[in-house]
Amino acid sequence: MTSPHHSFQRFLRYFIYPGIVFFSTHIWAETEQEKAIQAPVNELHTSLINIMQAAEKQSFQARYDVIEKVVLEYFDSPLIAKVILGRYWKTLDEKSKSEFINLFNRLTISTYVDRFDTYREQSFKDISTEKMKKNRYLVKTEFVRTDDEPVSFNYIVQKENDKWKIISVIANGINDLSLKRADYSAIIKDQGFDALLIDLKEKIRLLQPEI
Amino acid sequence: MTGWRLFDLAKLLILIGIMSLATGCATTQSINNDGDPDPLEPANRVVFNVTETLDKHLIKPIAESYVDLAPLPVRTSVTNFFNNLGYLNVILNDFLQGKFEQGITDMLRFTYNSTFGIAGLFDVSTPIGMPANIEDFGQTLATWGVDQGSYLYLLGPTSTRDVIDQVPSTLLNPFFYMSGIIFAPISVINAVNTRANLLEASSIRDEAALDTYSFTREAYLQQREFLVHDGNPPATGYDDIFDDGEFADDVSESDSDSDSGMLIIE
Repeated sequence: MTSPHHSFQRFLRYFIYPGIVFFSTHIWAETEQEKAIQAPVNELHTSLINIMQAAEKQSFQARYDVIEKVVLEYFDSPLIAKVILGRYWKTLDEKSKSEFINLFNRLTISTYVDRFDTYREQSFKDISTEKMKKNRYLVKTEFVRTDDEPVSFNYIVQKENDKWKIISVIANGINDLSLKRADYSAIIKDQGFDALLIDLKEKIRLLQPEI
Repeated sequence: MTGWRLFDLAKLLILIGIMSLATGCATTQSINNDGDPDPLEPANRVVFNVTETLDKHLIKPIAESYVDLAPLPVRTSVTNFFNNLGYLNVILNDFLQGKFEQGITDMLRFTYNSTFGIAGLFDVSTPIGMPANIEDFGQTLATWGVDQGSYLYLLGPTSTRDVIDQVPSTLLNPFFYMSGIIFAPISVINAVNTRANLLEASSIRDEAALDTYSFTREAYLQQREFLVHDGNPPATGYDDIFDDGEFADDVSESDSDSDSGMLIIE
């Protein structure tokens, strides 16, 4: 006859322990995935805090180099460029596409270095990560300032070749991708693609006088 | 009829004009709208260019001089004062949107700032946990299901829906009922102070924008969506730009998980 003690042990062995293992693995996998999704955003934020703290000691170029690494590694620039140029993208040859991506990256990096140039105890705070359509995620964060209201910084991330990358930045509800799409398409429509490249070069020149 | 009575009549006519314009444009928009948020772009661009020129040569220099002359605490108090005067419109729209708790807090905020804050010159409510909320009749109409309508550029960016807010915000502002001798100079100070508060934002815009008109329009429309959703618009709205047909096949690497729900991970 089976004792109540043995029945309880059997219950633990066949139901409770496997359950614990299953749920632990599930939670662990979910946490690991969440970390991977948030990684590009965290890398960018760490670098932005670093360049703000170093703003008085380091040159524009030195800070540019820090952000350049992050943008080249963690932003899906070809996809961003494709979405921004919309229907014009397919009309361009490979050389023009690559020139646009290069200029767009330089403008993005220069803008970050130009805007994040003073450190007054600011910090980034993680809020949440929400699933969107088609394996995209929205990573919600806040840029906390000691002397002003916090700024909401949200990022859309998507997997590209097994690596999560940022495909859009949304600051206080304004999606940079939509903004640039409207802005750039107006220039292309009125003055053509070459005029857009000239304008981008001029914007970069104004932002980074030392280069 | 005295000159100042005529001034009051003019104020009323402006209001009626805004209402007519909004209604007229809304009608036009409902006929012409094919997904384009800016069917009135040619006319809007003309107004935009005129106001930008006026701003560049007159209003902006005055605002810059005002910033140079008035110390920050003075400018903050001027801003607080005008914000407090306009806060009755916020309270009304809290209730119209069904935000009763926020409405009561905002009533307290208005009372505290009007009394302890010396006619609103000092914001004594924010430090005690009653920060300012941003509500207007355009947002109320949005919560009632009214679409953005057509984008409009008048003295600044607005839309056929949002411009209607000028009616309640003007009628609920105590200064509207004062004689022109007070209303006119106070309105000028308000305009200069408002422009001064926008100097940094306009500088960032000018630094970033290639086509200032398109940039302003897009930023305005997105900012309004953000405010309508109280700073938390649904994540699914951000998918549209990737799934508008042009790149639907290229943009997404994995289509295996195509549900559009907002699954909160954390």
